[in-house]
Amino acid sequence: MPSGSSGARTVTIPHLGRVEGHGGIFVTVGADQRVEVDMDIHEGSRYYEALLLGKRYDEVQGIITRVCAICSAHHTVAALNAIENALGITETHRTRLLRGLLLLGGTIESHALHVFALALPDFLGHGSVMSMARTHPDEVSFALRLKQLGNRVQELIGGRSVHPINTLIGGFGMLPSWIRLEQLRAELVAAREPLIGMVQLAAGIEIPGWAARPTVFMALRPWEEHYRFRGVSICTSRGDEHALEDYRDVVRELTVDHSHAKHSLLASGETFMVGSLARLKLWGHLLEGPAQEAFNLLIPQGGADNILLNSWAQLVELVHCLERGIELCTELLGMDESGPELLEHEVRAGRGIAAIEVPRGTLFHEYSLDDQGIVVAANIITPTAQNLANAEGDLRHAAEQLLTADSACDDASLKLALSMVARAYDPCISCSVHVLREPGGETRGTAYADRP
Amino acid sequence: MNVPRAGQGIAAVRPKVGVFGLTGCAGDQLQILNCEEVLLRLAERLDIVDWVMARSENDAVCRLDIAFVEGVVATERDLEALRTIRARSAYLVAIGTCAVLGGLPAMRNDLSREVLQREVYHQEVPFLDSVEAHAAADFVPFDAKLPGCPIERHELLQTINALLAGTRAELPTMPVCWECKAKENLCRVVRFGEVCCGAMTRAGCGARCPSHNVPCAGCRGPVEEPWWDANVTMLKGQGISGKEIADRMRRFSAPAWMTLNLEKEAGHAQR
Repeated sequence: MPSGSSGARTVTIPHLGRVEGHGGIFVTVGADQRVEVDMDIHEGSRYYEALLLGKRYDEVQGIITRVCAICSAHHTVAALNAIENALGITETHRTRLLRGLLLLGGTIESHALHVFALALPDFLGHGSVMSMARTHPDEVSFALRLKQLGNRVQELIGGRSVHPINTLIGGFGMLPSWIRLEQLRAELVAAREPLIGMVQLAAGIEIPGWAARPTVFMALRPWEEHYRFRGVSICTSRGDEHALEDYRDVVRELTVDHSHAKHSLLASGETFMVGSLARLKLWGHLLEGPAQEAFNLLIPQGGADNILLNSWAQLVELVHCLERGIELCTELLGMDESGPELLEHEVRAGRGIAAIEVPRGTLFHEYSLDDQGIVVAANIITPTAQNLANAEGDLRHAAEQLLTADSACDDASLKLALSMVARAYDPCISCSVHVLREPGGETRGTAYADRP
Repeated sequence: MNVPRAGQGIAAVRPKVGVFGLTGCAGDQLQILNCEEVLLRLAERLDIVDWVMARSENDAVCRLDIAFVEGVVATERDLEALRTIRARSAYLVAIGTCAVLGGLPAMRNDLSREVLQREVYHQEVPFLDSVEAHAAADFVPFDAKLPGCPIERHELLQTINALLAGTRAELPTMPVCWECKAKENLCRVVRFGEVCCGAMTRAGCGARCPSHNVPCAGCRGPVEEPWWDANVTMLKGQGISGKEIADRMRRFSAPAWMTLNLEKEAGHAQR
């Protein structure tokens, strides 16, 4: 049927802007207004899991951090925790606090970048943060300072803002000086008030309803009865709970023909969403103080199923990260400053798993070591890979909603709407690709758990 | 063409700039965004017209005065993109060790893509768009190369400033040891018997790792004359095996070491 004669058409966004990595969106609208959507992930494969095989256990974090720059601190800590689990090392309390602070720094940087520079321009009618700076100079200037603050945390604890170097098995090469920690705490305190100003700006922006769709959310149960990014078990909004060790059964990975990244489903066959919105949906009631207030202000009824709210969920988490960062600095400053902070350890064979809530959702790392400490197996499941199948569902649903409201909806509006949905996930495409593309038109359903 | 010549005033020109990522972690593009305190001024001085990571309305065809390219060529698509970028750009800058030397993705080019896939999947899987990973700089000529995983912000800004002034940035070519000694760090090799790549790795990072009591990982790639034999003798004197040394050195810049004795040293028995 010729395109256009009966509403049938294709809409293509070959290279999605304002996301990390290379991906596109391909939409086919049938004559019956049925919509097909593919998120084409064409980032090249780097085979990170294979690169790790044969490497010594203490080389892993320096290699795997390079999966992705934006979440490099998170990949580093996940790898360290997983390998320490394999070796039977328990991190000291001080190391746990410092790593917690490092993760917060990474999340502040990542969320500030996404909320203000990648997502917000859509809502304020701009194509980039550079052009947004002309109409909202104060906001953009604060957003950049906040992003820089996240980087400063990472530089102080991790030694560098991208790909930390100070983070080692058993602790740190060097402890930060308490004087700089004190300065950092002052900077976190100073960022509180302007950030609340940004929350109020966001509260004045109306979130379109066409992206709302019932969604299953997944997030880790926090390790204490507070809002935390490190967790003890895997929970979903369907009410089920699983041990971390069972993550391969919970997250079923499969390869699809239009994507270099794997897709994920629950055992039930449902797609699911991980990330800030999922965490707030499941654990938002644990937020305290200003973060609780921001949550009530920005997320109606504790989390409507609308992915466009994910950017606001990140904003709520930014408020939480400042508060928690101040708490961690205060606790650390009450401790002894003297080093070193590096545990002695023995090498042994073992298998270790770690799961952390990172900016885009739940990150799993698993390693097996032989008795010489050589990596014999590695497995990583990234949040973006888990979200892709759900994102396609959201894109399809959004396109259908827009076309139902107005079947003559022009391509440009459709493209903007779909880009906004995809961007709301804050996809990190480099992260999501450590696999390959299979030929042929059929979708392959190779259950990941079938892997030896 | 808007790239200023030496001696030409810079105030008059606002070069058109593109920023591109091939296959990689986006860390070097992120380092541009990480220049927060000068980012808006940069955007005034440079007319950034094509940068998919930071903008949604991009001009993907116009002539570019300066283009920055990050990452390795790991797909046919990457190669096509790189050639297009070269053809439309007057001044091409490689940012990051991947683009300059191949970086981590080139670490296992000794194995075929099929073997790598089998190692990941434990099965034969035919594949489409995946080729051996190589530095962008291996395929087209670059006018400047910034090493580092990731690049150093000050080297990036130095390079941009020099371009705007119609000159070229002089980046350090001595080894990391030089900067390490200036900081009076204790030597990771001599004092602690660790595999430190500092003696053979290009400086510019301020010896960041050894200054944190961590041996240099070699992320900036080899200096021009790495004095391989002497350095290996020194490292072996600490009881470190040739294989271990070779493994460390080839992590970020495996292809650059191919011409040296490194492969012989490693006995090519990496696994």
